[in-house]
Amino acid sequence: MEASLLWLLPAVPALTALTVLAVRSPRRLAVIDLMASLAVFLLALRLGWSVVQHGPVRSGLLGADAVSVVFVLLVGLLVAAVSVYTLGWMPRELAHRGIRESRLRLYYALVHGFVATMLLTVLSDNLGLLWIAMEGTTITSAVLVGFHGHRYGLEAAWKYIIVTTIGISFGLFGTILVYAAAAHAQGGALRALSYQAIAAVASQLDPGIVRIGFIFVLIGYGTKVGLAPMHMWLPDAHSQAPSPVSALLSGALIKCALFGIIRFHTIARGACGPEPSGTLLLAFGLVSVVVATPFILAQRDFKRLLGYHSVEHVGIVALGLGFGGPVGTYAALLHVVNHGVTKALVFFVAGDTISRYRTRNMHAIRGLIGIAPFAGTMLLCGAFSLAGVPPFSIFVSELLVVRAGLGGGHYLAVGVFLLMVAVIFAGLVHHAGAMAFGAAPAGADRSPSRLSPLVGMALLGAVMLLLGVFIPPGLDGLLRRATEIVLG
Amino acid sequence: MPGAEAVLPALAQAALLVLLGPLVSGVIQKLKARLQCRAGASVAQPYRDLAKLLRKGTVQSDTASAFYRAIPPLVLAAVVCAAAMVPVVVLPAAGGFTLGDAILLVGLLALARFLTALGALDAGGAFGGMGASREMTVAPLVEPVLLLVVFSVATAAGTTDLGLIAARRASDPAVWHSPDLLALAAMLVLLLAETGRIPVDNPDTHLELTMIHEGMLLEQSGPGLAAMALASHTKQLVMMAVVGALFFPIGLAPRPEPLLLVPAALAFLGKTAVLALFVGLVESSYAKLRFFRLPQFLGMGFLCAFLALALRVL
Amino acid sequence: MSSPLATALIDYLGALLLFTMIVILGSSQLYRTIYAVAAQSAFLAAAAAVLAIATRNLDLWVIAGITIVVKAVLLPWLLIGVVRRIGVKREIEPVVPTLLTLAIAAGTVVLSFQLAASLGAVRQTVTGNALPVGVALTLLGVLVMASRKTALAQMVGLFACENGIFFTAIAVSQGMPLIIEIGVLLDVVLGALVMGIFVLRVRSSVDADIADLSRLRA
Repeated sequence: MEASLLWLLPAVPALTALTVLAVRSPRRLAVIDLMASLAVFLLALRLGWSVVQHGPVRSGLLGADAVSVVFVLLVGLLVAAVSVYTLGWMPRELAHRGIRESRLRLYYALVHGFVATMLLTVLSDNLGLLWIAMEGTTITSAVLVGFHGHRYGLEAAWKYIIVTTIGISFGLFGTILVYAAAAHAQGGALRALSYQAIAAVASQLDPGIVRIGFIFVLIGYGTKVGLAPMHMWLPDAHSQAPSPVSALLSGALIKCALFGIIRFHTIARGACGPEPSGTLLLAFGLVSVVVATPFILAQRDFKRLLGYHSVEHVGIVALGLGFGGPVGTYAALLHVVNHGVTKALVFFVAGDTISRYRTRNMHAIRGLIGIAPFAGTMLLCGAFSLAGVPPFSIFVSELLVVRAGLGGGHYLAVGVFLLMVAVIFAGLVHHAGAMAFGAAPAGADRSPSRLSPLVGMALLGAVMLLLGVFIPPGLDGLLRRATEIVLG
Repeated sequence: MPGAEAVLPALAQAALLVLLGPLVSGVIQKLKARLQCRAGASVAQPYRDLAKLLRKGTVQSDTASAFYRAIPPLVLAAVVCAAAMVPVVVLPAAGGFTLGDAILLVGLLALARFLTALGALDAGGAFGGMGASREMTVAPLVEPVLLLVVFSVATAAGTTDLGLIAARRASDPAVWHSPDLLALAAMLVLLLAETGRIPVDNPDTHLELTMIHEGMLLEQSGPGLAAMALASHTKQLVMMAVVGALFFPIGLAPRPEPLLLVPAALAFLGKTAVLALFVGLVESSYAKLRFFRLPQFLGMGFLCAFLALALRVL
Repeated sequence: MSSPLATALIDYLGALLLFTMIVILGSSQLYRTIYAVAAQSAFLAAAAAVLAIATRNLDLWVIAGITIVVKAVLLPWLLIGVVRRIGVKREIEPVVPTLLTLAIAAGTVVLSFQLAASLGAVRQTVTGNALPVGVALTLLGVLVMASRKTALAQMVGLFACENGIFFTAIAVSQGMPLIIEIGVLLDVVLGALVMGIFVLRVRSSVDADIADLSRLRA
């Protein structure tokens, strides 16, 4: 049963993608989309429950352990929320000609294909399949990024596809080096690419080649994650894409790439000890946080702001992993979930807001609370959450990261981090407050919000608040188990 | 003290190269003509040109110094000396004396180049100055290539003496190693550059904007020009012989016995014919590069040579 | 085929791969770079064939065949089709001057070989000089991509990079599993198709080269 779940999870969205190409009516498309996404979410929950009860599962090239489940649950949740949101968002887009009706089925097909490849990424036991699926995510999402068809979108899509493809080619090279080390340590071709097999013999691998392999993987998959200095494509791509796609990109995709890094981190830890992978992750994480900050402050475009925020937050995850230890790793994994949820929420708000005000310029957006009270409130909550304010979830994970850093003696890194967080807090509150309050300009669309985007926002907002206040024991147990696996 | 049996073959080979040089030029020129669907001049035409020049008188610019008259014979002498260092048909006697090594060869060719440029500047003409400056721009990218290639081959053979390198490589079963492919590529680029052929320089032109080598010869006349022309024919054949000795050291006679010399001579003619074919085809297929693009082209050759050496050492 | 002979052949093919990479780096004409990358893929297929004979691994024959068809014929044909459609034949001036690029390339190759030499026993798992040449080609592919302004030249850099990775992959002792290699090739083809479509789309709608678009700024 569990083994077939592994195949079923990516198969459902893949089949949906193919089916959708044959349907024309927008209504039917929306319904199929919603049902398929809910199915994915339920399957993800089922798989999670199964892994928590019975331990890691493996079937051929696919496999799932506690770490995979964390990511699968995140993807499942976001997919469901995005579908709910799209239900109400799409009619408005069609009306504004943002997306043409003739291309609608291509849109849904690509989205579901994208979801299928993401699920395949986190469910891969075979490191080669991991790469293939990740390249698949790049291809499908690149078309989605440029979907609107105007030159900015195409420029962003081009930068995205070229930079990330070259980046993950580096990742493939790192994979091959680790494979060479594994082949040296044990025989047999296919098994030598199996993550669970390699992790089991990690201590026997030659540390020199694994070290070089990890560096290639970190730079390679790190490009896909958006760690600085390989992050240049991210603000462009995440801002030019349609908002639901942005939510998936920032919330889910970069986390899936992070999953790849975490797998290799575990292997490197087994072969070489906590250095150098920990130090490298720390360095990249800190650089990402520092580099993102000035761009966040000086930003005008709402969605680009969110893009740079993603760079900052994956930096925080890398920091957590770099600080290491049970606390740091737990914090990193928790942050993956927290940031995913929060960022998706804010992208939902952004999408709604931008289509109301017909502009992305934050200086032109005013008085959201007056026009759309619920969306405005969500904007404030989301912004506060991103800035790391209690009682929202990101505060918890950031606090844990700081604790891990202090516990590990990295006082300077923690100091820099806190400084950046404070600066970002100020900037973000300023921007969000300006957008939420004040008098709305005359041209803004004052029509009441459609229900489903609000439901989508509410769903994610609830999760965000919940995780900020209290981590359910199921999730806590899962994260603890995952931490153990990562630390080897 | 070197005996006659060591020196004589070297001098004989040098004489051979000098005599055959114009023939090779004639062959290349005939090949180009054929590819352009012309009949072309006869293969012996360069000899007739040299004879014609010898009959003519010399005209010298007013601004030229007394040294000017000495330059053509010196250039010819330098090239002929360089020719004596290349094993053409006969390998030097085992452990025996050779006239000089590859570094000396490069030095002599550089000397010839330097003197030619000097003559061009001395004559005080505009074309001469321009040709000389261009030649000197090309030289730093060209001469190190030859040295790098030689070093790459020499590290394996343990000596920079061309004759000994050829001997050692001929007796080594696995003659070619992977860096040699890159070294050969670099040498082919070098061949085109040193002989002043397309795509580096056009040997048939006298248009002011396109000359490098020809520009430097413009002020020469009479026997002086004959000497310079003979020097450039010989240099071309020397380069081809170097390629043959370094990379295809087959058929070289270990001792100067008539029975061994015949197949060796045939082998040499065969190698030269192949290289002449290569040069002719390249000249007919490509256009001359703009002067400012030359560094890129030569840079590629340089990189090939550098990597050949690096791969050999690492 | 004996192992020393196989190693020697892999070494030769490695040198030839480096040579084609130098041609790609140094030439400014798009057609020449495309032919060079096609030749590179052909050499790669030859390497796969050599290793197939040496290790008696039948999968490598399949990989050699697919590499020839896909990477040496299909993808260059696709690229040339796009070049003809958009009519750009020559780089005007790359971002980085060519001589500097060649110098950086020299340093990169030396670095790769040093890196490989520092590895020790595990080095034996990868036949011949496939590991350093693979590293060098990967890095040089990125160099090509970073130093060019034309979208198609960037794609050529990408293909060269992937050739390097493939070279190392097939030379690792047992060879990569067939499914994975086919999957990788499939991804490369799909990626190339999508990129080609982007280039044509931008040409037709905006009449500019897609890699030239630079309106999105900080």
